[in-house]
Amino acid sequence: MESLTIFLVLVALGFVFGKLAESRHYRSIHAREEMLVRLPTTSCKNPMGNNSPIIHAELVHGHVVISVDYFKQILAGLRSLFGGTIQSYETLLDRARREAMLRMKERCPTADQILNLRIETSSISKGENGDRIGSVEVLAYGTAIYFQQTSPPHP
Amino acid sequence: MNYQPSLPEYNDNVSHQQPLREFFVLMAGVVVFVLIGYWALGLVVDVAVDDLSPEQEAKLFPTLGIDWDVGEESMPQEQAKLQHLVEALNPCLSLPYPITVSLVKSDAVNAMALPGGKMVVFSGLLDAVSSTNGLMFVLAHELGHFKNRDHLRLMGRGLVLSILAMLAFGGDSGISDILASTINLRTAKYSQTRESQADHTALQALQCQFGHVGGATELFESLQSQETGHEFGFSHYFASHPELQQRIDDLHKFAQELGYAEKDPQKLIR
Repeated sequence: MESLTIFLVLVALGFVFGKLAESRHYRSIHAREEMLVRLPTTSCKNPMGNNSPIIHAELVHGHVVISVDYFKQILAGLRSLFGGTIQSYETLLDRARREAMLRMKERCPTADQILNLRIETSSISKGENGDRIGSVEVLAYGTAIYFQQTSPPHP
Repeated sequence: MNYQPSLPEYNDNVSHQQPLREFFVLMAGVVVFVLIGYWALGLVVDVAVDDLSPEQEAKLFPTLGIDWDVGEESMPQEQAKLQHLVEALNPCLSLPYPITVSLVKSDAVNAMALPGGKMVVFSGLLDAVSSTNGLMFVLAHELGHFKNRDHLRLMGRGLVLSILAMLAFGGDSGISDILASTINLRTAKYSQTRESQADHTALQALQCQFGHVGGATELFESLQSQETGHEFGFSHYFASHPELQQRIDDLHKFAQELGYAEKDPQKLIR
C-alpha cells in the first residue's frame, strides 16, 4: 500500500513539475527562435546565395543536457511493454535539439550563416535498472561564416 | 535564391496527444493483462494442487527441507493438549493425513496451516479464547484449510506471483510496485473466499463434535472488542481475511441455514 502511494505521488510530482518545466522551456525556445530566425543555418557544405568572399569562419557549437521526469519515464516504460512510438520522449528530444541549436546560434549572433550543421545525441544514464537517471545530451555544431561587406569579423 | 526567414507554424516532431490519457490507457492494459495472467496461473495451481495427493504432499515437503522459522516451541504440555484436541476433531473432518501442532510462544493471536501437515498456533490465541469450543473452532478452521488444501493453493499463488514479478521486472521499479498492489488486491479477495470456506468447514466440525455451535464466534468477538477505532475506508480490500463483523454475521447465517443450535460453550481448562 505504501509503495503504491509513493509511486503515485512520484508520478503526480513528475507530471506536474515536468509539465511546468516543459512549458516554461518551450516559451523560452519560441522567444529565442524568433530572435535568431534571421541567421540561416544549413547542413550544406557551401554558403547559400551570396558569393562575396568569406573573411572569417569558425566552429560554433551548443549543447544541452535534459533529464526525463518520473512521469515520462514510467510512461516510456509502459510503452515499451506494448510497443509503438514513445511520445513522452518526443518533446524531450525536440526541446533538447532546439535548445542546442539556439545555444549554438547564440555563440555567433553576428555571423551571416552557419554551414555544415551536425546534431548528435547521446543518452546519459547511470545506476542500476531500478533507479537509473535518464538524461539526454544533444550537441549541435557547425561552421559560422562572415562575409566581407555585411558585418565585421567576430572579435 | 532569397532566404526568407520564418519559423514553422506547427511542430510535426512531437505528438500533440494527452500524455495523461496515454498513461491511464496503458496502465489499464497492464493491470488487465496481469490479472488475466495471474488468474490463469491460479487455475493451473488449483489443478496442480488437486492433482497432488496428500501422500505426495506429506512426502514432498519434509524432503524439500524448508525451515518454517516461526519461533520456539516452549510449552510442551499445552502443545500436547492442542494436539489432543486436533486429533479429537479428526473423525469429524476426516483429514487425509495426520496434523502435527506446534505451539509457539508469541503475543500474536493467530494460527497457520503450513504444507506438510504442520499447524502452528501462537500462544496469544490461547489467551484470547475462554472456551474449549472457541479454541476448537479456530483449530477446526485451520484443519479446514488443510482439508480444502488452501495452504498449498496460497503458497502456489505466492510462488507464481514472485516468479512473475521477477521475470517481468527483475527488481523493484515503479511498475512492479503497482503490479504488486493490484495482485495483492486479487490475492486478498481470493484468500477471503478461502477463509470463509474454512469458517464453514470449521462450523460443521464444531456441530459434529459438540452437537451445537456455541462459541464459534468467540475469538472474533474478543478480537473485535480489542479493536480500537476503525481503519480507513478501503483497507479491507487489501486484507487477506474478511472483516470480523462480516465473519460473525456470516457464521450466524450459515448456522441458521443448517439449523445448528447455539448453546453455552465449555469453559477452557488450562
